[in-house]
Amino acid sequence: MVYPSSKPGTQGTVAVDGVSFQVRRGEIFGFLGPNGAGKTTTISILTTLLSPTSGGAHIEGLDVRTQSNDVRRRLGLVFQKSTADEELTGRENMIIEAGLYGLSAGAVREHANDLLAQMDLAQAADRFVKTYSGGMRRRLELAVGMVHKPHLIFLDEPTLGLDPQGRAGFWRYIRHLRESKGLTVFMTTHYLDEADQLCDRIAVIDRGRIIALGTPKELKDSVGGDTLELTVAPGAKDPTALLTGMPGVTSVTKVGETYRVKCSNGESLIPKTVLAADEAGIVVAGVTVIKPTLDEVFLHLTGHAYREEGEAPPPAAEGDGESATVEGR
Amino acid sequence: MLIPAFSLIRREYLRWIRAPTWVISGLMSPILYLLLFGQAFDLGKLLPPGTPAGALATVLSGAPNYFSYFAVGMVAFASVTAAMFSGTGIIFDKQLGILQRTLSTPISRRSVFLAALTFRGMLTLIPAFLVVGFALVLAYVPNVAGLSVGSGVNVVDALQFVVAALILSIAFTSLFLSFGFAAQRIESYFGVVTILQLPILLTSNAMYPVNIMPAWLQYVVGINPISLAVNVMRMSLFGTAGYPYSVGVYLLGLLAWAVLFVGLAFWLASKALRTDVSPKGSALSEAIAA
Repeated sequence: MVYPSSKPGTQGTVAVDGVSFQVRRGEIFGFLGPNGAGKTTTISILTTLLSPTSGGAHIEGLDVRTQSNDVRRRLGLVFQKSTADEELTGRENMIIEAGLYGLSAGAVREHANDLLAQMDLAQAADRFVKTYSGGMRRRLELAVGMVHKPHLIFLDEPTLGLDPQGRAGFWRYIRHLRESKGLTVFMTTHYLDEADQLCDRIAVIDRGRIIALGTPKELKDSVGGDTLELTVAPGAKDPTALLTGMPGVTSVTKVGETYRVKCSNGESLIPKTVLAADEAGIVVAGVTVIKPTLDEVFLHLTGHAYREEGEAPPPAAEGDGESATVEGR
Repeated sequence: MLIPAFSLIRREYLRWIRAPTWVISGLMSPILYLLLFGQAFDLGKLLPPGTPAGALATVLSGAPNYFSYFAVGMVAFASVTAAMFSGTGIIFDKQLGILQRTLSTPISRRSVFLAALTFRGMLTLIPAFLVVGFALVLAYVPNVAGLSVGSGVNVVDALQFVVAALILSIAFTSLFLSFGFAAQRIESYFGVVTILQLPILLTSNAMYPVNIMPAWLQYVVGINPISLAVNVMRMSLFGTAGYPYSVGVYLLGLLAWAVLFVGLAFWLASKALRTDVSPKGSALSEAIAA
């Protein structure tokens, strides 16, 4: 199902375009990209909070534009920011959220208790949310998003601002929910390791376009083997010709003082390279073998390194073409 | 059907009951006016000695003394002052993302609006009735002026009084809610509210009798929704003598204001709560993009 589509941003630019994918039932689907890549815009369209200016999206066969209330009933949503009410207890937040779906407090009480227990919030359920820690708040958001028994849940950068333990803990809760409830999970993240460890399949989005889609392994394999990073001493001769001639080397690129050597056999190449460079009179300052990570994938696909927070966002792409199909339980 | 709207009302109620700052912010001004201004500023004492007793009653349209006349004005003033906070909740909900979460559920946009109007309208009525009670109690305190009510007040009069207070609170709650739906920031909201506060109050008959005002001002004061409500309230408590129109006419005028303000609020709410993108972009899509 392909629907040409685009979504203008605030300055008349196109926030996402050429975005087209399908999510399967019961999988954890990751939407990976730097800040400003169009992740939140896509999630807003899929969760009926924004209408695409063209194109469309279907969730369990329902059109997000024309059947938005049916779509809303089937999905849960965890925002980047905590949206729980500070002055209310965790349990009150859940009961009120259920009410917005037309479910009475009596009807969801047991399910709410069950979710609070699964999120390890049973003890804190009747405390005000303003007393919760950052990790507890994220778990409560997850519990609130699950209170109406959705078929699929959208997580918009769910671990943003959590410390490493908090993030690892949160991943466990997500995996647990997927196993115990057969939930489909659609999540955005700009953490590569998170997508790598948590997701069954990943779409990499950059400047409003999907540039790769596959399992983490497929994406890493697409980069092709290991990378040897070789740094030469200042003023040393250019080792490019030497490196290109080594066995198993497929390409050499220079990044600053460092030469990135694509090769099939990283570890065994180290001693050979160092010896050969020494014979040629090139002073080697350091060598590292890098196993392919999603960082590599990103660099390979986009030609630029994965931007960290605080760097200027890229100019938004122009054009159109978006479609999405999400299958719930 | 009703569960979603009731849930929103319950959330607002729980929030409010746990941070009841309204007790100070909403009631302070009317109580100070009753305790200080109303005690000090007695129009009756300005009349020259020997003025016939009926003269003051004529100026005050039947009220037995200035304090009683003034206290009824303060009932409306308390209600309008409380209504000025009506739009704040919706702005915080926008900024904290709570509104977006609400809109991602199947709750109808009409329910979101009606829940806000119902809860905020009720909150606006509380200070009005507290002021009535406070002014009535003052009448039993020695050496302090209080609200004295005519002996002929019956159930119908009391009902008229309550209906006028109710329509007034719906009207001003809607007016300030509509600013809340339109504004993105709390600063711009209170900017507008502060500009409106004094003109709304001073062009009403809450504090001064209309018939001693210059003619041009009388026209403005005559159509002010506060004046219309206060007229009905005073007629209910002190009798209808000296009023050019009947209670029904004033109630209809007040109702017209209420319909206008509710319509304005509903229109702005629908604009703020829409999720599709108009050429200018909706408030919500801007909030999401931000």
